[in-house]
Amino acid sequence: MLRLDCMKKTVLRLRVLWIILWGVLSCFSTVAVCASVKTIRTTFPAAETGFDPVRVTDVYSNTVNEAIFERLLTYDYLARPARLTPMTAEAMPEITDDGKTYTFKIRPGIRFYPDPAFGGKPRELIAADYIYSFKRMFDPATRSQWTFMIEGKIIGLDALAEAAQKTGAFDYDTDVEGLKALDRYTLQIRLREPDYNFSYIVAHTPFAAVAREVVEKYGENTMAHPVGTGPYILKQWTRGTRIILEKNPEYRGMVWDFAANEEGDEELIRTMQGKRLPLIDRVEISIIEEEQSAWLAFKRNELDFNGVGSFRAEVFDGKSELKPEWRAQNVKAIRAIDPELTYMFFNFRDPTVGGFEKEKLALRRAIIMAYDREEEINVIRKGQAILATMPIPVGVVGHDSRYKPLNTYNPALANKLLDAFSFKKGKDGFRTMPDGSPLLLKYASGTTTLERQFNELRKKSMDVIGVRIEFQPGKFADHIKAAKACQLQMWSSGWVADYPDGDNFMQLLYGGNIGQSNNACYNSKAFDAFYEAARKLPDSPERNHLFLEMTRQMEVDGAWALGVSRERNMLIRPWVLGFKKHPILNATWLYLDIDPEKAP
Amino acid sequence: MRQTHDSSVPETIPEKSGNGFWALAWLRFRDDRVGVVSIIFVAAFFIIVFLSALGAVASDWNKEVGIHDAPPDLWGLLTPVPPPEAMGNAAQRVAQTIKTAQHGEALLPSTVVDPLAETLAQLQGERMEGAFPESRVVDPLAETLRELGAEGMVLSAVEEKNAAKRTSLPFGGDRWGRDVLTKTIKGSQISITVGLSAALLATLLGTLLGALAGYYGGRTDDVLNWAYSVFNAIPYLLLILAVAAVLQQRGVMTVILILGLTGWTGVFRLIRAEYLKHRGREYVQAARAFGVPDRRILFLHILPNVSHVALVKVSLLAVGFIKAEVILSFLGFGVAVDEVSWGSMLNDAYQELILGRWWELAAAGGAMALFVTVFSLLTDAMRDALDPKIRETS
Amino acid sequence: MTAYIIRRLLQMIPTMLGVVLLLFVLFNWVGGDPAYILAGKVFSEAQIANIRYQLGIDRPAYVQIGIFLKQIITADFGASWSTQEPVSDILKTRLGPSLTVLLPLLVLGTLLAIALSLVVARFRRSLTDRMVMIACTVGMSISILVYIIIFQYVFAYRLAWFPIQGWSDSLWTNLTTFAALPILIGLCVGLAPDLRLFRSFMLDEVEQDYVRTARAKGLTEKRILWIHVLRNASIPIVTYVMAALPGLLVGALLIERFFSIPGIGREVLLAVERSDFPVIKAITVYVAIATMFANLAADLIYKAVDPRVELK
Repeated sequence: MLRLDCMKKTVLRLRVLWIILWGVLSCFSTVAVCASVKTIRTTFPAAETGFDPVRVTDVYSNTVNEAIFERLLTYDYLARPARLTPMTAEAMPEITDDGKTYTFKIRPGIRFYPDPAFGGKPRELIAADYIYSFKRMFDPATRSQWTFMIEGKIIGLDALAEAAQKTGAFDYDTDVEGLKALDRYTLQIRLREPDYNFSYIVAHTPFAAVAREVVEKYGENTMAHPVGTGPYILKQWTRGTRIILEKNPEYRGMVWDFAANEEGDEELIRTMQGKRLPLIDRVEISIIEEEQSAWLAFKRNELDFNGVGSFRAEVFDGKSELKPEWRAQNVKAIRAIDPELTYMFFNFRDPTVGGFEKEKLALRRAIIMAYDREEEINVIRKGQAILATMPIPVGVVGHDSRYKPLNTYNPALANKLLDAFSFKKGKDGFRTMPDGSPLLLKYASGTTTLERQFNELRKKSMDVIGVRIEFQPGKFADHIKAAKACQLQMWSSGWVADYPDGDNFMQLLYGGNIGQSNNACYNSKAFDAFYEAARKLPDSPERNHLFLEMTRQMEVDGAWALGVSRERNMLIRPWVLGFKKHPILNATWLYLDIDPEKAP
Repeated sequence: MRQTHDSSVPETIPEKSGNGFWALAWLRFRDDRVGVVSIIFVAAFFIIVFLSALGAVASDWNKEVGIHDAPPDLWGLLTPVPPPEAMGNAAQRVAQTIKTAQHGEALLPSTVVDPLAETLAQLQGERMEGAFPESRVVDPLAETLRELGAEGMVLSAVEEKNAAKRTSLPFGGDRWGRDVLTKTIKGSQISITVGLSAALLATLLGTLLGALAGYYGGRTDDVLNWAYSVFNAIPYLLLILAVAAVLQQRGVMTVILILGLTGWTGVFRLIRAEYLKHRGREYVQAARAFGVPDRRILFLHILPNVSHVALVKVSLLAVGFIKAEVILSFLGFGVAVDEVSWGSMLNDAYQELILGRWWELAAAGGAMALFVTVFSLLTDAMRDALDPKIRETS
Repeated sequence: MTAYIIRRLLQMIPTMLGVVLLLFVLFNWVGGDPAYILAGKVFSEAQIANIRYQLGIDRPAYVQIGIFLKQIITADFGASWSTQEPVSDILKTRLGPSLTVLLPLLVLGTLLAIALSLVVARFRRSLTDRMVMIACTVGMSISILVYIIIFQYVFAYRLAWFPIQGWSDSLWTNLTTFAALPILIGLCVGLAPDLRLFRSFMLDEVEQDYVRTARAKGLTEKRILWIHVLRNASIPIVTYVMAALPGLLVGALLIERFFSIPGIGREVLLAVERSDFPVIKAITVYVAIATMFANLAADLIYKAVDPRVELK
């Protein structure tokens, strides 16, 4: 919207009642001071934590970082599936040595925002900044949660980290063989093993460049002092309430120039092509935890963007078209499937549901077949999700829409399968284990209202096959701790793509990742063999075939019950131009514009 | 969430004089018209709670008798508005996804196909050719599944699920199509039970500790008073969250424990003061002189004389706890998944109001408001009857 | 008097120690392990060990309790584990919004309740009294959740008298715009029980001898109520309101969530979710101190007003 500090008439009107209560009339003292500032008003549903790229753990802080800091590479705005494109690099990296050496040329003249740490002057971004930023991932003091993405990959970096663990201080001045600045602007990264996905990793927001001076100046409070080279700066921050970003005057700028890729892109191109970016002067992010409050705020025009969430029935009619009241306001609806998936996993080391014996396979697959995902989508997710058919979701390299899943919803067959393996029903209607011992599923769960709805559905589904299920509510931290120690029987989880490649998902099932990301503690030799073979291959039909084999193996073993990929339905006010939901990027304000004609 | 029940009991209640006290109180109570009306309502609620606890009513609250979000018809008084169509369409879209993803041009997702045949079809079929030509994965269950599937069983889950479901219900249905009326009855049972049991627990705990502290004084009093001030000093919300974290299981019992274990402090203070007062009274001194054991003096001699304080406190706490259960549910510490309470209903329903589905919120909120109102009025009447001092005023 | 105050202050020490101990036990052996919350999506045992080391939670319990005590004495609780924000800043910035809602609410609520309670005390035992009391009972029987949902929908959305949610940096804007509806809801929830309570205070006073004397002297009923009864009834009222404040600070959680007010209640919930021990420690300690001092002040006021009250 187009506005700044304008006290509006509506506000005055709504205050009338309140004024009477106060008996004060000084409202009129607010003089309207309007400036033509292009502002986007949006919302986060949960509180941010701060803005130090390597320290941040949540998606919302990461989103803000995305606008403030810059990576070597980023993603093309329109290309689907998401395609990498240079950001601070001049071009895509030169990959040599069979995928073991990456060389990036950084564009000269990119400058950090003039922070007091640089004596108030802008400072140029150079290759050494990335080396420093990458090293920070391994500094014990930053407690970075992103280390796993490059752990064991860059030659010499892990050794430096080990030394730091021993001495307690990370030595940034020691040169690392795998991270070299060949000259002021040339960065060479050398890997221990061939890895064709490494470009994706450097495009990830935590791998953005920070300046050493800034980190050293602000020491223990880097979370509150983001200084980057990106299009926006943190102007004002009321923690947990409001984040205001403003255009970075030092930003080099760019031109909106993307090629059409999908239906509807032409219109975006027509309105935006050739415009000099950024056009949005100000981004106001309100943190609104209650979905209902955010929704009403959007309806009352206090926000420019909002997800439809639980209120889908208010927006779309029976034909999934916008209802007339919304069309009358020229509101645009944007639909996109997120590159993510939910799944329910079994612990393979659990005495009840774990193991590779035939009857355990049958038990797990019967449970998977009994769970009614259709109800989940229709009732709980309000129709805003699609069934996942592979561990690799739609829109991620490796997904194959032709794959037919094995364990589809079929409670009748599930019952028969359990009968066949003599999970006999007792007098109370619940089954026992084949040896007569009680069968009780213990499902880890959270405490939210949403979680409660899921549990209702799980209970209902298990009742149909006579399997007793009990929910163990607890804190996320306790559950994750138990899961990493292979002590959790069943839990549901989700994974959002860090980068749009199947490997990012399949690693969740790899035996070598037990205790790290493989929460099912699934340890199939067959699967691991496929996985190890695939990891050595670049994106190719051979690798895609291995992904299918892994999927089939996972299904045969009943390791995961695949869940859904969520569909994002967003509503956007008509004055916001150029918006398209990006599968990986969250902070796309840089590519937007505001139409002052339509703005209120 | 201001806690008012603590201070609303008169601090000084004159000593009672023998058995006539309760009879007199009853006489006073009978004259209170509001009290009599409210006791009838409360009795009606208790009958419902009792029947529901026995399983005579609402035992099938979990059954999905209606369609999703079935609208209310109030036995024909309302013309039910048809449920929003968007959901139905979503179901179609889902079915479409399943079709394209799983079965190509095949039928519904739940139509059972021989699993091995399916695998074979995938391996040899035209659509999959190129994508998944030869899988090396062996399925140990393939043989069993083929045998099971070969019986020709056909199941059409979607149709079966929606067969014989009512399109409207007297008080409407919830998201799964459960009858809101029976759900409210069951919820009333749970909420009232939780409120009363937790109040009883808190009062018992507070009375026991208060009696010990007030009667013995000295070191015992110091220790108990210390525990009281520690409990009192920690923010109530944090205390609740902490106790909830200790009690890992979810269920009616847990809610009772959370509320009971954190809510005893007010009773403690009152009862302690009472015992302090009675300790010096002649009848206690006399009993002591006769060598009556402390245990008997504490619970047989003094307790009857302070029991009316405890009684009023129980009902005041019950009201507070019934309301607190809603907040507990909001924070995710409510009753278990296969149980229902007013709190769980309100929390399920509050987002539905915007979508025009007001009935669950109205039913649970209304039932709760009615019960809490009549119960509070009864408590007031009871207090007026038990406390002669206020009687003098009229 | 001085000796009494000193004794009461000294008594706070064991209470504080009890709070420290209870808090430490609850959040170390029962609460979620903060290391696992901070570790993110994928991690190794070594990373967990590092986080524990960084936070100091790998040290023996007595050392940690010692540090905790030192933090209380120096009033420096360090920085939040998840956001690095100094805990003192957290308290400073969250207290303002909480008080912006609570103080007007308390003042307005108390004044309104006093005025109404005097009115009903004037007509005690009459039909008016009865009706008002029953109306109050109905009002307080409705859950705060229902109040919030309906008021937000009707007054903010439908009628557009208030903004749906939000908070600004200007105290005036907050008071007149953003805090208005939350205060209104607080009044609806709090007025009925306050009124009932204050009425009982008033009735207690009405029975006193001095009222009879005043009546005998021929003073008007209005004057007796507004001057004499009110003056005496104000003692329990003030102490009650004071004692309620610390609890309210943390308890306004629902209102803060629905109206996006950056107050203490939301912060507590967030800190518990994140197992952010420094924040929990600080808030608990300060609320405990506030509670203890409020109680002491209440007792002192009693003493000051009524010398017959024995201070023990």
